Amino acid sequence: MNQSINTLFALSLIIIISACSSVQITEEAVSDQSVAGVSITSKSTATQAVLANAVVYFDYDQSNLTAKSIQALKGVSDLMKRNQKITISIEGHADERGTREYNLALGQRRAESVASYLIANGVSRNRLITKSYGEERPLSLGSNDTAWSKNRRVEIK
Amino acid sequence: MIKNFILSALLFTSTLSYGELFLEITKGSEDQFKVAMIPFEGNTRVSKQLNNIMRNDLIRTGEFSILDEELLLPVKIIDDELVYSDWKLLGMDYLVTGTIIKANNSLDINYEIFDVHKKRKVRSSKVFGIPNQIRQLAHYTSDGIYESITGIKGIAATRLLYVNEIKDLQLLSTYKLMLADSDGANEKTLLSSSEPIISPSWSPDGKRVAYVSFETGMAKVFIQEIASGRREAVLSKDTQISSPSWSPDGKYLSLTLYQDGNAEIYILRLRDRTLTRMTNQFAIDTESTWSPKGNKILFTSGRSGSPQIYELDLRKLNPKAKRVSFEGTYNAKASYLPNEEGIVFVHRTSDGLFHIALKYKRENFIRILTEAKMDESPSVAPNGNMVIYGIKEENQSMLAGFSLSGARFKLPASQGEVREPAWSDFLR
Repeated sequence: MNQSINTLFALSLIIIISACSSVQITEEAVSDQSVAGVSITSKSTATQAVLANAVVYFDYDQSNLTAKSIQALKGVSDLMKRNQKITISIEGHADERGTREYNLALGQRRAESVASYLIANGVSRNRLITKSYGEERPLSLGSNDTAWSKNRRVEIK
Repeated sequence: MIKNFILSALLFTSTLSYGELFLEITKGSEDQFKVAMIPFEGNTRVSKQLNNIMRNDLIRTGEFSILDEELLLPVKIIDDELVYSDWKLLGMDYLVTGTIIKANNSLDINYEIFDVHKKRKVRSSKVFGIPNQIRQLAHYTSDGIYESITGIKGIAATRLLYVNEIKDLQLLSTYKLMLADSDGANEKTLLSSSEPIISPSWSPDGKRVAYVSFETGMAKVFIQEIASGRREAVLSKDTQISSPSWSPDGKYLSLTLYQDGNAEIYILRLRDRTLTRMTNQFAIDTESTWSPKGNKILFTSGRSGSPQIYELDLRKLNPKAKRVSFEGTYNAKASYLPNEEGIVFVHRTSDGLFHIALKYKRENFIRILTEAKMDESPSVAPNGNMVIYGIKEENQSMLAGFSLSGARFKLPASQGEVREPAWSDFLR
């Protein structure tokens, strides 16, 4: 079967000794496979004092703020106006449904929604750091609506 | 091919455990090549081991049915000519014989393939290595058999990358970037970290990997050399960087950068680290992958209001993104088949389940290829005949695969969650 293709893949072989009467004759050495593993033990730098701790939640596939989350964010913006020294980290998260990279981007949009609200309420952009963990850091481990709704969130630290 | 895929029956079930992953072949296809593999002569222990590995390599492709060892007949040679009639009576298409030459410091395999119908030898090959490379020797031999019979390059000697997450008793996670042979054996840890690792990607020569690590507190792309463990962040920018994909010539990485707060696609020239912005859109743009010729990229964008797949033609000046997915409200993480005849991607069905789907260029509909609930991260084998992807079963993430000819297999981990497989290019 498929004799005509022999020539095509003979090109990929390392040593071709001969190819007579359509018997394919090959010799090849297996390649070296050394591997060096790396271990990272240092934890990422801890975020600063949790003065402005808050969590806001989002609907599936959505990054816009709900009435309830705006309520929670009012407290954060008031606190930031009273304490001009505080800078905060705004971390966006997604539930496990959908692809990991898209969820990373979705988490970032959620973080940006929160940042936009705070900026609109008089907080300076340079006091805010936005980032996303996508679906990598779920709060709740199940695969059900309750767990998912807890995981679609922005944490303010 | 797809017809077989749907019609395929439960032809055999065989399981073999190696190392950390557990290979379970659950389904074969119809219209298989029937092959008799005579245990290779020489060292019996080596012969048994080789036979097991090769059988699994060939069965996993879905295109082969290997005669049970108990049904084998003695190979008769009369006047220097193999007697084909016995094998024809057994319904065989091919016969494979071989010898093992084992010395202290070397292990060589000579094998021959005979076409039972044409009554002649079609291949005579030698693979050589050292005794601890037995698995690789077996995979090279399997690939030789596969190529000789199907005319398509084999993928037994390719390798997989994937992420393994292991939780301790306090539920603290360790994330590992793992490397294994295409059958899940020979598993090695490339990186172990207390912070998440996602999106592994191979360099085309199989010597380096790129991935996203959260070790600095936010997503950053790193490149790591497999043999030395030497690694570096690809950019020193203070922004989130994600979704690396290597161009087929190895000179560029496409990436997602978040420097404007929004996910946008860039191409990084590795030689001098120059960045070229490819998208400029208020919506999410991410998950870029290169076409096999390196002249196009696919990516996922939310610009239509839901994630859909788009294509950019890099040969054009200021290329316009062309939408290529239209069915349903969630299509993402696409990659091309090696011949660019189609794309494989994640599709959300109308009942909210995520499946791996295939769309051929010449067809105006998609083919759903998997059936669990949350299938993700498809990666296509370099010969285009197989796809490996992530599934979730009873809250446990593991790897599963299928061939386009209908075979199915699973690679559950003995420990923790396994996900995000990435298939290497050909390595031999």
